[in-house]
Amino acid sequence: MYLLGNASIYIGLALTIYSILVFIIGIKIKKQTLINSGKGGVIAVFICMAVANAVMLYLLATSQFQYEYVSNYTSSELPLFYKLAALWAGNSGSLMLWSFFLTMYTAMIVVSRKMQGNPMVPYISSILLINTLFFFIILGFVSRPFALLDYVPAEGRGLNPMLQNPGMIVHPVTLYLGYVGLAVPFAFAMAALILKNVDDFWIKMTRRWTIIAWLFLTLGNILGGQWAYVELGWGGYWAWDPVENASFMPWLTATAFLHSVMIQERKNMLKVWNISLIILSYALTLFGTFLVRSGVLTSVHAFGDSDLGMYFLIFMGVIVVGAIYVLMSRYHLLKRSAGEFTSYVSKESSFLINNLLLVGAAFAVFWGTIFPLVSEAVRGTKVTVGIPFFNTVQAPILLTMMFVMAVCPLLAWQRSSAKNLRKNFLIPAVLSVIGMILMVTLGIQKAWAVIGYGVIIFLFVTHYLEFYRGVKARRKMTKEPVPIALYKLMTKNRRRYGGYIVHIGIAFITMGIIGSQNYDMETMKTLDIGESIDIKDYRITYERLEQRAEGINDIVYADLTVFKDGKRLGVFQPEKVFYGNWDEPSTEVALHSSIAEDLYMVLSTWDENGTATFIIKVNPMISWLWIGSIMVVIGSVFAIWTGRYQNITPKYTGVMKEVA
Amino acid sequence: MNKKIPIVMLILLFGLQSFLLQTHATETQQQYDYKSAEFKAVASQFMCTCGCGQDHYACDMAGCTNTDAFKADLIEMMNKGMDKDEIREYYVETLGEEILTAPEKKGFSLTAWVLPFVTLGGAGTGVFFLVRRWTRRSGEIQTSNEEMNVKDEVEEEILSSIIDEERKKYF
Repeated sequence: MYLLGNASIYIGLALTIYSILVFIIGIKIKKQTLINSGKGGVIAVFICMAVANAVMLYLLATSQFQYEYVSNYTSSELPLFYKLAALWAGNSGSLMLWSFFLTMYTAMIVVSRKMQGNPMVPYISSILLINTLFFFIILGFVSRPFALLDYVPAEGRGLNPMLQNPGMIVHPVTLYLGYVGLAVPFAFAMAALILKNVDDFWIKMTRRWTIIAWLFLTLGNILGGQWAYVELGWGGYWAWDPVENASFMPWLTATAFLHSVMIQERKNMLKVWNISLIILSYALTLFGTFLVRSGVLTSVHAFGDSDLGMYFLIFMGVIVVGAIYVLMSRYHLLKRSAGEFTSYVSKESSFLINNLLLVGAAFAVFWGTIFPLVSEAVRGTKVTVGIPFFNTVQAPILLTMMFVMAVCPLLAWQRSSAKNLRKNFLIPAVLSVIGMILMVTLGIQKAWAVIGYGVIIFLFVTHYLEFYRGVKARRKMTKEPVPIALYKLMTKNRRRYGGYIVHIGIAFITMGIIGSQNYDMETMKTLDIGESIDIKDYRITYERLEQRAEGINDIVYADLTVFKDGKRLGVFQPEKVFYGNWDEPSTEVALHSSIAEDLYMVLSTWDENGTATFIIKVNPMISWLWIGSIMVVIGSVFAIWTGRYQNITPKYTGVMKEVA
Repeated sequence: MNKKIPIVMLILLFGLQSFLLQTHATETQQQYDYKSAEFKAVASQFMCTCGCGQDHYACDMAGCTNTDAFKADLIEMMNKGMDKDEIREYYVETLGEEILTAPEKKGFSLTAWVLPFVTLGGAGTGVFFLVRRWTRRSGEIQTSNEEMNVKDEVEEEILSSIIDEERKKYF
């Protein structure tokens, strides 16, 4: 196994170099057989990486502790599921998974039927292979996954208990899929530039890739938040930790990209900007990895100090400089066909504002994340930039973003006349003002909440009107029943209506954020058995404290009977888990969720006489975060679904070369 | 008449906001314990140093060795009558600015707060001038189209898709 694992990495490395070389030579001397050989190489590289991952999974499953990685991240009593999940618990394992996805994507492009005969393929493959080469070098010489120990330990160190949660298993995988996914549009953009194809072919070609990468990034972030909410016991879901920021930044720039490409498709403008955005998004994924792997900033996600981060920083530098060089060398071509705007108030300008705000938000996150380093460098004083900073700075930017999102669908392309504006916005504006007044009279009086919910009402109404008018227009011509008209309307323009579903999902998420940030309630009390805590409409009675053993872990739990408005909701058990092979205990929250609010119960401390301290929180509207997330997934999948009316992958019409 | 509606709405919106801010400022606060609003305001200013990545208000004492003593100190200072700002100044002097969960809004640290908005403002102005240039260029080209009546976009799209479908049927 040692031999097989290592061989697959070094053979993979050699094959990667070989494939890059034959692609470059093949392109230079225009020889199709060399290109075909390179394509074969891509598939072979993928097989090597698949074998390496399979070997590692086998070693983890069979607890072969003579391997440093296996011994560092697993122990024999761990359930098989978590043993396998340890593949992405450490540095080298997670990089191996990353490389697997990267080589898988490259192989998918090479074998794709739609890409046959497309001269961009050798270029795209070479660019992705250069990325793969970097990972193989790291795996082969810096962070070796199959390194052996000098001795065979009787037991492994075990997996960090924090990671032993289903959400934590999926969260890193989805994030990696998102990170790696952004490499694909980046490679397409670079290949298009090198081939001097300055039309929007590469954008149309990679539309689905970009949405899929964006969806995975979104999911990765949401699942991380969900995990933090149920596992960390602090009642929050987003802590603006440097690593969370690192995955939020490419999400923001990728969102900006998904919108600004529409201007390029319609008006043939913003070409340089779009390419810059995709370079930036990909560079930010590498920057994120640098943050996680370097230990340069304090973070709960850090993989520990290693010099691996430095390699990522250097690689990021090389990629960015290379990409900017390619962009500059084609700048005159991109510049040539700049279009024009008809009016200040139009969908185009709202997309520009959207881009400004999203990139601005990304910059604010970036600035806050690196400010501790800046401060230390400039005046030698360390500072901490935490939740209050990011909440204060991001809230106005993102709320304005929500407003633009609400306004944009009803603005016309080209020009919105005053009449058009009045017709479209009078009803939403009146309704949201009425909503705001109602909120104030009903007791929701915090400024942020009222303004935020006002904007959300505006968004719902404008989006509803968009569907309503579409259906009405269809029915005027076709006399179809409403559901059929709605279905046909949506399936005929999947991207647009999928996008609207995503918008509504984001609005739900924002509802959850505003509610839970502004109206959460919390209390902490020490109780004797039989005593109760009252919070809001809830009465929580402490019944008993017990201990049970699960494998090598000891679990202390309390039975809490919960009543709401006098009605019994049941018995809940918040727990503290003490691990046989880990110093820190972990918290298992007891949760009662409803559409309106979550009752969040944490067992904090206890005494031998049976008294126990509980932290009880009421977090309003948390469920909307998860409902909104599901809608984002539905909307994204709807947008990329191949339907009868879709023309997602257009035929290549760019510069023809002899090899493809 | 046409201009009056947006003006009235703006006035309403601003009036509403100032009303909200006022009500917010006069909200009554409860007696404080470790989870009271007053204690939250004080303790959430300080970062817990046990590695939990949370502030002293949020840190759950069971897993943390030093928040217990820190919280007790805070309560003691609050009992002495020190307010939130005095307590902050005391800790910044003794432990340095790093103890705060967010940089101070003065000196060099102010740049942390200001720069994102300055950049946004600068970039926004840039975008404005860019759009103005593009609009002017377009104005020069098509002055005669000034009164172009833009048809409702959705209708146009539906119409074209139906025409397309019909065409496919017959040809």
